[in-house]
Amino acid sequence: MIPAGPSPAIDGDMLLPAPRRGLPSPTMQHPSPERSTPSRPAKVFEAIARNEPHVTETHLSLQGDDAVLEVEQFQLHYGAMHALHNISMRIPRGKVTALIGPSGCGKSTLLRSVNRMNDLIDNVRIGGSMRLNGDPIYAPGVDVIELRKRIGMVFQKPNPFPMSIFENVIYSLRIDGESDKRVLAQTCEESLRAAGLWEEVKDRLQDSALRLSGGQQQRLCIARAIAAEPEVLLLDEPCSALDPIATGRIEDLIEELKGEYSILMVTHNMQQASRTSDCTAFMYLGRLIEYGPTDDIFLQPHLRETEDYVTGRFG
Amino acid sequence: MDTSQPSPSLRKRGRRERKTRRSVLVAERVARTAISLGGGLTIATVSLICVFLAWVVIPLFGAATLSPARSLAGGRASEPIVACATDEYASLMWVLERSGRVSVLRLDTGATLETLSVSEQAQPAALGFDAASNVVAVGTSDGAVRLATLSFAVSYPDTAGSGEVLSTLRPEERTPFAGGLAERLADGQVRCVRLELSISEPFELGTGAAKSPPRLLDLNVTEAGATVAALFEDGRLTVGALKRTTNMMTGAETLRFRGGDLPAPNAPQSEQPIALRLLGAGDNVLLVWRDGRGVRYDARELRSATAAESLELLQSADVELTRVGAALGERTVLVGDSKGGVGAWFRTRPEQAGTVDGARMARGHWFAGDGVAVTAVAPSATSRSFAVGRADGRFELYFLTSEKQLAEGRTPDGSAVDALCLSPREDALLVHSAGGWSAHQLASHHPEASVTALLRPVWYENYEQPEHVWQSSSGADDFEAKFGLMPLVFGTLKATFYSLLFGVPLALLAAIFSSEYLAPRTRVAVKSTIEIMASLPSVVLGFLAGNVVAPLVQNSLAAVLASFYCVPIALLLGARLWQLAPQGLVLRLVSWQRLLVITLALPLGLLTASVLGPWIEDVAFGGSLEGWLDMQHGGAAPGWFLLLLPVAAIGATFAIARLGGGWVRRVSQHWSRARCAQFDLLRFCATGVCACLFAALAAALLSAAGLDPRGSLLDTYAQRNALVVGFIMGFAIIPIIYTLSEDALSSVPEQLRQASLGAGATPWQTALRVIVPTAASGLFSAVMVGLGRAVGETMIVLMAAGNTPIMDWNVFSGFRTLSANIAVELPEAVEGDTHYRTLFLAALALFAMTFVVNTGAELVRQRFRRRAYQL
Ligand SMILES: Nc1ncnc2c1ncn2[C@@H]1O[C@H](COP(=O)(O)OP(=O)(O)OP(=O)(O)O)[C@@H](O)[C@H]1O
Ligand SMILES: [Mg+2]
Repeated sequence: MIPAGPSPAIDGDMLLPAPRRGLPSPTMQHPSPERSTPSRPAKVFEAIARNEPHVTETHLSLQGDDAVLEVEQFQLHYGAMHALHNISMRIPRGKVTALIGPSGCGKSTLLRSVNRMNDLIDNVRIGGSMRLNGDPIYAPGVDVIELRKRIGMVFQKPNPFPMSIFENVIYSLRIDGESDKRVLAQTCEESLRAAGLWEEVKDRLQDSALRLSGGQQQRLCIARAIAAEPEVLLLDEPCSALDPIATGRIEDLIEELKGEYSILMVTHNMQQASRTSDCTAFMYLGRLIEYGPTDDIFLQPHLRETEDYVTGRFG
Repeated sequence: MDTSQPSPSLRKRGRRERKTRRSVLVAERVARTAISLGGGLTIATVSLICVFLAWVVIPLFGAATLSPARSLAGGRASEPIVACATDEYASLMWVLERSGRVSVLRLDTGATLETLSVSEQAQPAALGFDAASNVVAVGTSDGAVRLATLSFAVSYPDTAGSGEVLSTLRPEERTPFAGGLAERLADGQVRCVRLELSISEPFELGTGAAKSPPRLLDLNVTEAGATVAALFEDGRLTVGALKRTTNMMTGAETLRFRGGDLPAPNAPQSEQPIALRLLGAGDNVLLVWRDGRGVRYDARELRSATAAESLELLQSADVELTRVGAALGERTVLVGDSKGGVGAWFRTRPEQAGTVDGARMARGHWFAGDGVAVTAVAPSATSRSFAVGRADGRFELYFLTSEKQLAEGRTPDGSAVDALCLSPREDALLVHSAGGWSAHQLASHHPEASVTALLRPVWYENYEQPEHVWQSSSGADDFEAKFGLMPLVFGTLKATFYSLLFGVPLALLAAIFSSEYLAPRTRVAVKSTIEIMASLPSVVLGFLAGNVVAPLVQNSLAAVLASFYCVPIALLLGARLWQLAPQGLVLRLVSWQRLLVITLALPLGLLTASVLGPWIEDVAFGGSLEGWLDMQHGGAAPGWFLLLLPVAAIGATFAIARLGGGWVRRVSQHWSRARCAQFDLLRFCATGVCACLFAALAAALLSAAGLDPRGSLLDTYAQRNALVVGFIMGFAIIPIIYTLSEDALSSVPEQLRQASLGAGATPWQTALRVIVPTAASGLFSAVMVGLGRAVGETMIVLMAAGNTPIMDWNVFSGFRTLSANIAVELPEAVEGDTHYRTLFLAALALFAMTFVVNTGAELVRQRFRRRAYQL
């Protein structure tokens, strides 16, 4: 087969030389602590409404972290609609980063941009750059297929393939042509154990995955993502279709995966974000408003808007 | 809308009245009634069509009915009955007894109308009868033979001029009139039937000295003339033709016999043959003994006739032969025995006959009795039905070809049946026993049709073996229609198979391509274009197939066949070469790459085929593929090679992937893109070479084992053949399969596609591993709907399939489908007869086939919908 090339929707500005890894770009220059008083009047939303550019409030304590994923001045248009404005953030390695924000603010769009799933959509234009462990994601010559193999993604709704549990877990190995039965069985067990599903399904690996419960299916999807040993794991509202108990299990799972995997997670659940994540990013209308350690965002955010949002006064 | 500021009108009226408006209710009711009415009517129409078809077909399988016996008062024969016949209207019957006496009976009362004699002598030496012409050969003891013609004359006398007798005749009443029987018909006319007997001048059998009286005589009258065979008391057997000469002066006609003696059978003189039969057109003579021995003479050359074969007509030694008759046309001899069995023997022409004329008698049909001896056998004069009478008074009516028992009965007093007579219209059966004649009314409608005769191989007269044959009409008079449905069903399946073989892969691949690779907007455009293809009238396609494609394919057969190999190879090779292109170019043309490769590779493949095809034809097939297919020259090996090549290629691909896959994956992990592409090209070439080697080896082995592909899958080339039909009908079914399977593929939840692509699978891997398995039942039902369309398709097969109802899988031969057959033959079928009803049966079969296929497809699709809903 002819391998799928990179997306045609490559804008000129992404060809600009990206700032070197490790050095914060000028826009990421952190504002002075004096500005970050939560009692400041809510001016940011008004500025956004006037379509003025917003400079992300990035907490200083994140600066030193080793980033697995760097997003720099990332722009995304769906046709005429400007869905992401100048997003710049560094996702720390081995930690859980939560993306929060009201519905439609572009969280999923940002997540899908990481593994270039937006390529599948017509009329998408992109600007800025992203790097995965230093390798550009949006550059001519990037093999999208190879790129996606390095990133795992779990969707909002559990989406197991209509095959056996075993085949679901080892799907990424199968498409790589792995046929060694020992390797397959071992990967399957390890991934299922990591996803906390092994004890429940070890006797029925050949059963259809569709017969699992919703929570089990979601953990199966996580196991499937883990089996590929991804460098980043993207979770898009992984618990929104689940009941509280299943949600709790997934949260425990995320807790366990922390350290070994770098996780970028979208959630609408503030408790979940505060419980499971290390860093939190608040987005609004395609802008990244504030980005900092979870404790700071929830307890002493720099911006009034963030505080309003996390305390439920708005959104 | 902001709820804090309700609009003025809302505030004024307070809570809005939430009542459905009357017009909405009326519209709802009208719509519901119209829809249920429409649906109900559709179902009713379909069921009505089905009922109508069944209503026409069912009489085919009805049994004949025989009314209870009606004893006839007079005409009890005191001597053995040699022959008897009724007129067409079954109002009179003549009965010829051994003594030469002919009595004419009224069939309504049974009274004897008159008594005549065919012989001046009290006791003729021998009598021979030809049923087709109603001529009796009467041999007298002085060795002379006369021909007596017994014919019924029908006249419609003018009632006014013929006096009292006829003018007072009431409708349906009969009265003797002018030596015959007059009957007033329902329309007021009077019909008079009278037996006319004319006896010719005597003629001598053989010349001069031999004036022995004949013991057995047989006569065969055809349009060309008459043939007579005689066995004399002295054992001499002679056969010859009668010539009619007219004296110019007197105008008197004389008959002259010209013939020769046959070699006497080497049987002991004590045992005399019991029957002598002229077969067919009088060119074969059969002599039969009581113990079942028989000798057939080849008498095509009357002067040098010889014994062709000796026969054993009975199966075991303790059985005796009791009656010998001949079915209509005198080609089939019916042999009744003392155990009640009746065998029907006719000549066949097997490959190794070992006889002087290359023919052999074979028992084509066997009617096993139940142990009660056969005492009478009477064929119908118009069909291949015949009646059998038994020693215990039972009698049955059979149809020869279908071996179907039509009716049975018993004489009133249970005495042995010694003569039977079937009226020409088969509406009356007359049975003679010790108690005299009894008459039965008979209603037999479609004796030649039976489930076995329609669906199983049938042994037709003069065929080598039982066969499936559809042949509803012919120029010959004594032709028997053959209604084997199997060749038509087979033709339908063959058309379907070859068109699916061509259409399904293309349609499915196109559907996968457009649902997985094309951008939504392009997909819509492509889909509606392909759907326009479906609106091409099939008669146009049929015309194209028959008048354009068929001659084209025939003229450049080699190139066309070569393109089946060259085009796929060119496409695969093109894809691999494209990977070698510089990366920059690839990226710039990334969305056009497939189209580009296809537009370059397709014409190149065709060009190669047009050059390579004729070259291969010259080198491997002796310069003419058609000649090679016709077995005129060349060996089996090149054919096997080409047939096995695709299989070998698939095998080689799998073998190489299986054996070297893991190693390649490990080694190539860190290779550059260009290196991988080069390696891929190399592997492709290696696979090709391996495939050629495998195929060559297998071809050599198979042809060394004496196997030849010609004769089964390949055979003599006909211009209108399954290849052309498969090509064009495949084209006709592509749109529907494509549309339905595209729908099935697109309705696979997007999240599955995303999960797979997100895991780093290529679109092709996604399609094969996730999308196609998930949509499998939808794809299946798409194929089934296409199959349903192919089964029912008429115009294309009618115009391009050659319409020859033959049964073989040869790609290069024509066929006839159920639908085409109905279209061709229904206009000329006579309403209500067997042919007409059989065509309706074909329609019913077609209906059942498409119904089953479509219902199956629908069931599968509904299951698929449920499953898709679960996802
Ligand atoms: N395929 C698309 N084509 C056009 N616009 C899109 C597309 N997908 C998303 N959008 C728009 O982009 C904006 C961001 O959508 P996105 O799905 O990223 O929101 P979200 O933050 O994930 O919301 P939610 O929390 O409800 O999932 C929305 O206004 C949405 O309407
Ligand atoms: Mg979302």
